[in-house]
Amino acid sequence: MTLTAPSRRTVLRAGGYSLTAAGLGATAASWDRLSASDIPGRDGSMLTVAVLGSAIDPSQQSVLVEDFQRLHPDIRVRLLAVQATDWNDFFSKILTQIAAGSAPDVVYVATEGVQLFAKRLGVALDAWVRRDADELREYFADVHPSLVESMMYEGSLYQLPVEFNAANMYLSGKVLRRTHAELPPADWTRDDFTALLRDMKRTGGRGFTPFFWTNRLWGGVVPWLFANGTNVLTESKAPGGDWLWNRFYPEKQRRGRGGGYRWGAPQALDGRVEEVYDYLASLVHDGLCSRPEGGSGTNLIGAFSTGRVGVTPAGGFWAGGLHEAGVERDAYDAQFFPRWRTRRHQYGAAGYAVLRTSERQDEAWEFVKYAVRRDVMTRLFQKNQTTPARRSMLTARRYAATGPAHWDIFYDTLDRFPASGPIPAPPQVAAVDLALTKHTATALGSAGSVKPALRALQRDLERAMERDT
Amino acid sequence: MSTTTPPARHRALTWLFLAPTVLGVAVFTVVPIVGSVILSFFHWDVIDPPTSAGSANYRELATDTSILTAFGNTLLFMVFAVTLQLATALVLALALQGRMPRWIQQALRSAFFFPLVLSAASISVVMKYLFNQDFGVVNWVLGQFGASPVPWLTSEGWAMAAVVLVYVWQQFGFSFLLFVGGLANIPRELHEAAAMDGATGLRKHLRITLPLLSPTLLVASVVGVINALQVFEQPYVLTDGGPGDATRTAVMVLYQTAFEQLRFGEASAIGVVLFALILTVTALQFRLSRRFVHYQ
Amino acid sequence: MTSVSYSSPSPASSPSSSGRLRERAGALTARRLGTTARVAGLLVVALLTIGPVLWTVSTSLRSPAESFDLPPKILPTGGTLAAYRQVFDQLDVWLLALNSALVTGLIAIGQMITAGLGGYAFARLDFRFKRPLFGLVLATMMVPVQVTIVPVFLILKGMGLTDTLLALIVPAVPTAFGTFLMRQYFLTMPKELGEAAMIDGAGPWRVFRSVYAPLATPGLAIVGVLAFNYHWNEFFRPLILETSNQNFTMPLGLVSLQGNLGTGSISVVLAGVVLSMIPAVAVFVVGQRPLREGITSSGLKG
Repeated sequence: MTLTAPSRRTVLRAGGYSLTAAGLGATAASWDRLSASDIPGRDGSMLTVAVLGSAIDPSQQSVLVEDFQRLHPDIRVRLLAVQATDWNDFFSKILTQIAAGSAPDVVYVATEGVQLFAKRLGVALDAWVRRDADELREYFADVHPSLVESMMYEGSLYQLPVEFNAANMYLSGKVLRRTHAELPPADWTRDDFTALLRDMKRTGGRGFTPFFWTNRLWGGVVPWLFANGTNVLTESKAPGGDWLWNRFYPEKQRRGRGGGYRWGAPQALDGRVEEVYDYLASLVHDGLCSRPEGGSGTNLIGAFSTGRVGVTPAGGFWAGGLHEAGVERDAYDAQFFPRWRTRRHQYGAAGYAVLRTSERQDEAWEFVKYAVRRDVMTRLFQKNQTTPARRSMLTARRYAATGPAHWDIFYDTLDRFPASGPIPAPPQVAAVDLALTKHTATALGSAGSVKPALRALQRDLERAMERDT
Repeated sequence: MSTTTPPARHRALTWLFLAPTVLGVAVFTVVPIVGSVILSFFHWDVIDPPTSAGSANYRELATDTSILTAFGNTLLFMVFAVTLQLATALVLALALQGRMPRWIQQALRSAFFFPLVLSAASISVVMKYLFNQDFGVVNWVLGQFGASPVPWLTSEGWAMAAVVLVYVWQQFGFSFLLFVGGLANIPRELHEAAAMDGATGLRKHLRITLPLLSPTLLVASVVGVINALQVFEQPYVLTDGGPGDATRTAVMVLYQTAFEQLRFGEASAIGVVLFALILTVTALQFRLSRRFVHYQ
Repeated sequence: MTSVSYSSPSPASSPSSSGRLRERAGALTARRLGTTARVAGLLVVALLTIGPVLWTVSTSLRSPAESFDLPPKILPTGGTLAAYRQVFDQLDVWLLALNSALVTGLIAIGQMITAGLGGYAFARLDFRFKRPLFGLVLATMMVPVQVTIVPVFLILKGMGLTDTLLALIVPAVPTAFGTFLMRQYFLTMPKELGEAAMIDGAGPWRVFRSVYAPLATPGLAIVGVLAFNYHWNEFFRPLILETSNQNFTMPLGLVSLQGNLGTGSISVVLAGVVLSMIPAVAVFVVGQRPLREGITSSGLKG
């Protein structure tokens, strides 16, 4: 035990004192934040809007609030940018607040959570939509009915779509050039796709993967299920919704629309589901794609932009991501998902939901309406970090800097394949997501495991769907 | 200390010493734990008020293969991670003891401790790239020695290995530091005496060093076990618990049950069982330590 | 206690016979070879240990298009600070750093105080329920934060502290681990010191304040440095407990660099990681010496 050198002790002590002094100074200067006495809205007098922080450019968040304030000086609004790494973190945060009785009034919800929120937490927007129909006509005319339908639950509308992403295919220009291949045509098939991967593999060399995908509910195995005309849950539509379709959409567009999707009995053992898994397993087996990784696709942009990956499923949100990563607009392009038995694509959308517990629901609706205005959305989505839900916003000018050259496929996916479907997300979405990603990983983890993995998937899905949420 | 009753003034002072810790721990840990235990006998989805569940949550837990697997994984992880962590730290601490320039010794010591200052979550994002099967650096290095690419994150056995490696990489510095301190406390004369008796290398360490180091080993292994049984960030970021359930740990399943699936009652039951498990393992360690730990 | 080097016995001190001398010389060469091999081995391990950190730093200094180059480059090619500029553009780095420093600093100081007092009481004072109380404190180390976060949120709400920086600080100041560490630390100090002071008429507070507390500085440094490391990097509690932008801490702010659905540039993400690493490294460097001495002299006996 020594602290013998007096000089050092003195130094330490002096250091300690000065640190303490500095600390006390900083503490005093920041007392407001320590105790939060200056934070408006803690008394619950404000309209609180929770958004996923990473989805909206931080510099634009204040604009969103200030402009709304100018329009509605009587409504005081507070934006909660939840700094979550993913949907799960975001949900933890909202739940804890609900548990503590300080839930926000408005929450940004993606397709994954639409039905859970609708069933348990949300308020149907129907009455307001009817009331403000004239004001909204322009909006609905600009938004594809598929997106609107994905935000309906049992005949009622719960959100106004703000953004969406359909699972298209991104192709690396570098790799295509190396392979001496052209961008595949819009009507390419699954076999064309396989052939392209084989060509890429031949010229790729070590450390190259022709096809790479992330194992998750959006953009993983599910787009293939849609393409093959099947899914892990039976799909049907709830009755109702005519009130909306008849009001806003012409006859041609409202045909076949209903009151929202219903995800029913698990059917993981369906022949076509097995076909999809067998196909993906064969790609893994032939070295055309690696086993899918779980979690977020953080590394994928980098791998793709350096030509280590040839093809990957992604949506409009990737255009912004690639641009940020320094990828030139002609170094990649996008195309529809290849045809299998059908041309159905998978998409996910997001918009603002009003919470049942809110005491300011009318004000909340004003915000929901405000957030889908064209000028507001234009300001929020300057970087192409997602695909705007308004068709008129997808212009050559918008994609001039970021690419891709075929930016028009993003919205054409909805227009040309109107039967495309949303992420299969019943209210039991968390358990479905877990079961699907879990057993997909084992199905493709080693040879001959597709069948047992699908049986386990079926079992887990049955268990999940039995549970009432 | 004396056995006579201290004067009342002293007693008051004693409680002043204790108050911040005991009160704080009581309010912010004990009360929440008691709350969790109570909650584990209810169904609660946060949205509606809790309803009584009896022992249903515990029965659920005992029959859910995914949860049982997660507990199995956690124990397995604990055994591998703690063993590797202690062994690495001990070997390095012993190796560092010998003769070498002092600045090298200090540089090495800093290097070994360094990963501890990093955030587990953000460094796991880096690791996820480094361990990628196709374009990761780890496989590239192995490839230089002729090895074929290892599916680190996507095959069941390798995924657990990757999680253990990343965890140990970040954690061994702490045990290392403890061992360096412990070794420095072993009187030099003992080593010299052993050397006189002709004991060298491994035998010297087995006979002299380890027994004398045993109290430090106990502390390192107790802290190591408590931390390892609560592992969360590394598998959450690296593999999301997969493939399958291969790297799903108890805390992960707890988090998913509560915050993703809205079953807070069942999650509390998982928490209670995990707590009991950690308590048991730690008690076992102390019990075993009576046989192996020697105090000077 | 100065250093732990040169603990092997000094060689060739007492030659007795020429045979033994030769034997010794041979052993010496072997030992030298052994030393070289050992140091080389240690250097390899050290390189493996800091390799990922070096890669992180160098990648943050490269354009994203070069970030996945193989073989991995340790030196940045034509180093660019663009990623760092972007971090400062996108985030109010200074506010995040100030919040983090405030929270982490106050927690560290608070833990040093409570652990010092508590550890001393458990080591050197007599009181009723000492063993069960100590067991209770220890047991709280075994509870994952995910279990207690909802009740803690409710308690903080009752105290009116949600969405304040104090919400992060107050529950983290009492520390089971620190108390445990300090108890072990005080246990290694000779009892006689205190008894001598008592005979001189010092009361229990004086004994603590003037005899034991000064000796405990290195131990407190351990508690402080470890608390700083842990809480500087904390993500889950701030995520749940803080809602207003002006209360975000560093790890929370860095999340937005990951971009929508993980599309952020890897260079920018890593630049953020490196920036947030700097203060933790600084504290580590400053605290390293007392830390080393603390660990060394405590020996952490059970």
